[in-house]
Amino acid sequence: MINSIGKYYKHSATRLIFEGMAKQFCLFLETLGMIGMHAVTAARGLGFVDKKELMYQCYRFGITSLPITLSIVSMSIVIVTSQVALEMVKQGGGHFVGMAVSILVVRELAVIMSGFALISMIGSSLASEIATMRVTEQIDAMRVLKVEPVANLFVPRILSGMLMMPVVCVIASVVGVLAGAVTAELAAGLSYRAFFESAWLGIFAKDMFVSLGKAVCFGACITLISCSCGFEAKGGAKGVGEATTKAVVWSFVAIVIVDMFFAIAFFF
Amino acid sequence: MIKVQNLTKAFNGKKVLDDISFEIKSGETLALVGFSGSGKSTMLKLICGLIEKDSGDITTSDGDIAMVFQYSALFDSLNVADNISFALRERRDLRDKYSPDEIKKIVAEKLELVGLKGIEDKFPSELSGGMQKRVSFARAIVTEPNSILYDEPTSGLDPISSTLIEDYIVRLKDETKASSIVVTHQMSTIQRTADRVIMLYDGKIVFEGTPHQMLKSGNDYTKQFVNASLKGPMTMGLG
Ligand SMILES: Nc1ncnc2c1ncn2[C@@H]1O[C@H](COP(=O)(O)OP(=O)(O)OP(=O)(O)O)[C@@H](O)[C@H]1O
Ligand SMILES: [Mg+2]
Repeated sequence: MINSIGKYYKHSATRLIFEGMAKQFCLFLETLGMIGMHAVTAARGLGFVDKKELMYQCYRFGITSLPITLSIVSMSIVIVTSQVALEMVKQGGGHFVGMAVSILVVRELAVIMSGFALISMIGSSLASEIATMRVTEQIDAMRVLKVEPVANLFVPRILSGMLMMPVVCVIASVVGVLAGAVTAELAAGLSYRAFFESAWLGIFAKDMFVSLGKAVCFGACITLISCSCGFEAKGGAKGVGEATTKAVVWSFVAIVIVDMFFAIAFFF
Repeated sequence: MIKVQNLTKAFNGKKVLDDISFEIKSGETLALVGFSGSGKSTMLKLICGLIEKDSGDITTSDGDIAMVFQYSALFDSLNVADNISFALRERRDLRDKYSPDEIKKIVAEKLELVGLKGIEDKFPSELSGGMQKRVSFARAIVTEPNSILYDEPTSGLDPISSTLIEDYIVRLKDETKASSIVVTHQMSTIQRTADRVIMLYDGKIVFEGTPHQMLKSGNDYTKQFVNASLKGPMTMGLG
């Protein structure tokens, strides 16, 4: 019996699937360890950050991305508000519209949508930039010049993410609520006054602090993961592409997981 | 001083360097030659610590090791001046030592040395391959290192620029008593810069001697190399 299972196993697709899964799991653990190691190395280099470089990275992270981030956030608010505002008004819940929108924006939409936008713009660009430096031996050159590349490249980028993501998140929240107000007016004829009176009731200090905390974590995750994946790139142009894809996928998954933990910790 | 003892390195089970030993005294320049793929770049990367050896020993005298990379490896987001001064600005033990004016002066000096006066503000992508090579040369020597590894410093250069670089390799060696390794395929570079030549083939040293001996010796390997012949003991990849 065991023998025949063994025989079956040896020749079957089952083996392929199991071994494939095991291999993927090992790769997953390897990546996780690699990112953790880089985080430690970067933390050690924290004191040596170059102010000018940090300013530039902040500008890159927070300012260059703003038009796209704000468009994505406000458009998702327009979509959500236009779906529900009219129904709520019809059911006699018009005075809840502003509150619902502001809760949604402040707690979730502003920060997670900004996160997605920043991954696609900044995360991918950080990963491909550092991956290109790796495959063209620029990182090796840095090491020979006795400059620790992880500290030199990662620290200003990670700090810029942690500093600027909350800023982006605040701006996105304000713009998001405004977009909700305009949509409610246009789609359901709700007056601005009614909207904002209700919206005000949905804004709590706790929500704002939790969101800011989330933003700091998102900023750290996106930049750390993108830099790490780029740093480990191998081979030529193909390696750069693979590293960028990996950075984007891992960042997406990471911020959703972080978001979930925040939800469990603060709103259960 | 650079001393290599019983150095072995394999990639994916294939030995690229197999039990290699040699020593370079300070003020001496060694030319490392050999077939493409014979492990010359690998040797340099092992010496400056970019990759891990499998076994053996590498000792170098105190002080900096510099390397001029085969494909320049300039930082493409920085201009020429920032590339050259990178170590002076970013290295933890040097970063507060030089004022911006001093750095400017050093950069101008090094650029003049490699015959590229006044291109401080250009970016690597705006330079020709040969110019990039010379800038990477300037970047490597900015900290006045004790050991210098050159990976094909003159390949891709016109004969005049080659001579310029070769002369500078010699001058630097005389001035600083640095030990250098020059990986090259060019006979002119060997002749002008090297005190000694080591030839690698299939992971082993197949010739060691002076440039003069290399030209005159009856060694089948060097004969084939010097005559650029397809006939001889080195057949790797030639079918
Ligand atoms: N990171 C690596 N992974 C796997 N194999 C490698 C790696 N680096 C080098 N090799 C292999 O080691 C051998 C030696 O490579 P190396 O770059 O040292 O050659 P080289 O002598 O510098 O050649 P060239 O004159 O063409 O520059 C080659 O066969 C190469 O395929
Ligand atoms: Mg090489």
